[in-house]
Amino acid sequence: MNGLKKIFKSVSCPALFPTPYSLFPGCLDTVRSVAAETFRESVKNRFFTIFAVFAACAIYASLLVGVMAVDEEARVLSDLGLGLMELMTLAYALFHAAMAIPREVETKTIYLVFSRPVSRPAYLLGKASGLYLLSAFMLSVMAAIHLSLMALRGFPPGLVYFHILACIWLKVIIITSLALFISLFSTSPVSTMVISGIIWTLGHFTPEARFLVEKTAGFSGRLLKGAAWLIPDLQLYNLRDAPLAAAPGVWFQFAYAALWALGSYGAAVLLFKKKEF
Amino acid sequence: MTIVSFNGVGKIYRRRGLGSSSQVVALTDFTLDIEKGEILGLLGLNGAGKTTVMKLLTGLLFPTTGGVSVFGLDPREPQAKNSIGFLPELPYFSPHVTAASALRYYGRLSGMPPRAIEAALPAVIEKVGLVPHKAKKISEFSKGMLQRLGLAQAVLHSPELLVLDEPVSGLDPLAIHDMRALISRLQAEGRTIFLSSHSISELEKICDRVIIMVRGRQARAVKREEWEMTSGGLEALFVEAVTSGARD
Amino acid sequence: MKKCFYAAAAAVFTGLLFFSSSGRPASAFPPPSALREVRHSALEDMLALSLGARRLFADLWFIRLMQYYGTQEQIAGVEEKEDAEHGHCHHGMGFGTGKYPEFTALSRHIAALDPYFKNAILYSAGSLAFNMDRPDEATDLLNYALVNTPREWKFLIMLTAIGYSKSSEPGKVAQIIAPLVRERDCPVMLKQLAAFLNKKAGNYAAAAEIYTDMIETSRDPFYTRKAEEELRKMKGLRR
Repeated sequence: MNGLKKIFKSVSCPALFPTPYSLFPGCLDTVRSVAAETFRESVKNRFFTIFAVFAACAIYASLLVGVMAVDEEARVLSDLGLGLMELMTLAYALFHAAMAIPREVETKTIYLVFSRPVSRPAYLLGKASGLYLLSAFMLSVMAAIHLSLMALRGFPPGLVYFHILACIWLKVIIITSLALFISLFSTSPVSTMVISGIIWTLGHFTPEARFLVEKTAGFSGRLLKGAAWLIPDLQLYNLRDAPLAAAPGVWFQFAYAALWALGSYGAAVLLFKKKEF
Repeated sequence: MTIVSFNGVGKIYRRRGLGSSSQVVALTDFTLDIEKGEILGLLGLNGAGKTTVMKLLTGLLFPTTGGVSVFGLDPREPQAKNSIGFLPELPYFSPHVTAASALRYYGRLSGMPPRAIEAALPAVIEKVGLVPHKAKKISEFSKGMLQRLGLAQAVLHSPELLVLDEPVSGLDPLAIHDMRALISRLQAEGRTIFLSSHSISELEKICDRVIIMVRGRQARAVKREEWEMTSGGLEALFVEAVTSGARD
Repeated sequence: MKKCFYAAAAAVFTGLLFFSSSGRPASAFPPPSALREVRHSALEDMLALSLGARRLFADLWFIRLMQYYGTQEQIAGVEEKEDAEHGHCHHGMGFGTGKYPEFTALSRHIAALDPYFKNAILYSAGSLAFNMDRPDEATDLLNYALVNTPREWKFLIMLTAIGYSKSSEPGKVAQIIAPLVRERDCPVMLKQLAAFLNKKAGNYAAAAEIYTDMIETSRDPFYTRKAEEELRKMKGLRR
């Protein structure tokens, strides 16, 4: 066992790619501490204003929709709430993902971190976990507000509501992971958010892009195919939009999100390992 | 006993743009040994390479040429980092938390178990003189208090070597006096202290040895006895080193 | 050694990405080119597609369609009896009559955005076929929606009912749309139509049942008041 630890240790924390040992057990504490700190920092930053805005929008929309949509009130109220929740979570998580590392570099907080025995992969994993936790918390609170409002209007949600929530979270996880990676080489947080926004948009066109790729032959077809792979298919998670029957299995959704999150994380680790501060 | 060695270290900053790249030489053939228990000062004009030396020592930068060793290890090794406490210039802390909360976070990052952190906290807060302010949020802290907190996070895990980058920069005279007393106390506890400053008089008061840096090179190493015997003290030696360095 | 590890990780990632991309079904929606601009909708349509919010925008367009259909027409030469709340004439077969030139384009827009928005499509097709006497446009709309939802029995029933409506057999049409009306989320406009057709064919019990259901399930005061009124009339007839 000790021999195994030695082997792992030789290429772990000080080295530059996570190995089982580099993440356990000391590095797991780092991940937990960085995640908790990232979460705490984000929550203290005008977090409750977001909820107030969401609650106000949802209540206003429900009153308006109650009058205008008449017998479609349940559908419109549900669509509007879920849409708002997704956009707000996306905007807030993206903002923090784009800022998370550049702000630490700018304020020189990162000096206090990396002058300590902190493994870079563990630090990145902590940052990402904090951001995932943030979006999960945001979604939960907004969902509670939304569900209360729906219940008040007499529309109890089905189980599919929670599947939709999970899909929104997975979508946000994918884009947050990509934003965190992009923030390591982009020139400013704004450009990170713009690039991530473009990926978000393209991600909703992936099925159409695949259809076009299939119709294009030869070299350009192969080139397009390659390009299409580089964009995550966010339509897979768009249950609040597409019919349930068109959605892939839950395990596939989780595995696909994990693949993108891990891919972005791996690329971020590669980029981060030789970064100087 | 030598605890830190710089052997012919060179550092070049490279900036890559779209289709172009530029480079700045920050450090050239820098050699230095730091002895256990001493207070060593790094003196130089802006851009002389002081911060680069400190960052190389703490593993935040990697040398382009030559090598650095801390307690016989690469500065990037966890054991090497565990024996260093670093206070950067104008440290930043989250404004929403208290000093104790910020220290807990850095203690955890240093790999300290929660019990050890809780045991060390009161003594460290007392040592840096933050007891009256321990319940305050950091947003209410003055510059001097922030600097004390910076020092607290550097000593929390009881490192053998303290690296302090401009520890008195921007402080009022009373805060400078307190900081000087703190550094002396830390040395009395047996720690080695490596600090940089623009302030010749400060270094003169607390250092055993001072390295004068000019344009990324070590222009001169001066011991306390030497500047005490020179008329004009350390300032005269510094001016001489800088002007002759500029002529070269 | 490390480079080999990175290369292997990249290869595994690419392989998994390829594997996860292959065999996935095509888009569940009509292509973006199917969206035709109505009322300067280009920006909204772009947002609907790029934010993956087709359903939400289809909801908004449906509300607009209902507002449009519920507003008095300002067309020279067209005279309509106005209802204080709903604008259009609502007595018997004349219910919701009018030209409403944008109606088909708006309905088609909703179907292009969200072809799974059954109630909106049924509402639009029913209004076109039975209120505005434009069965061909209604049929086109249903056929368009069926491209993406080929097994949607509600659309198929509606198509059949439209076909029978041309033969002037209200009882038969009412019989055809009966399964639709029994659905919990059937648009209230279709229930109103079914009740009216039953009443016209002399099936008072069936009509009364539908009117009662309308009162119990609909939140639209216009339709519930209308149903109450009809029930009162029918009770008088039965006495």
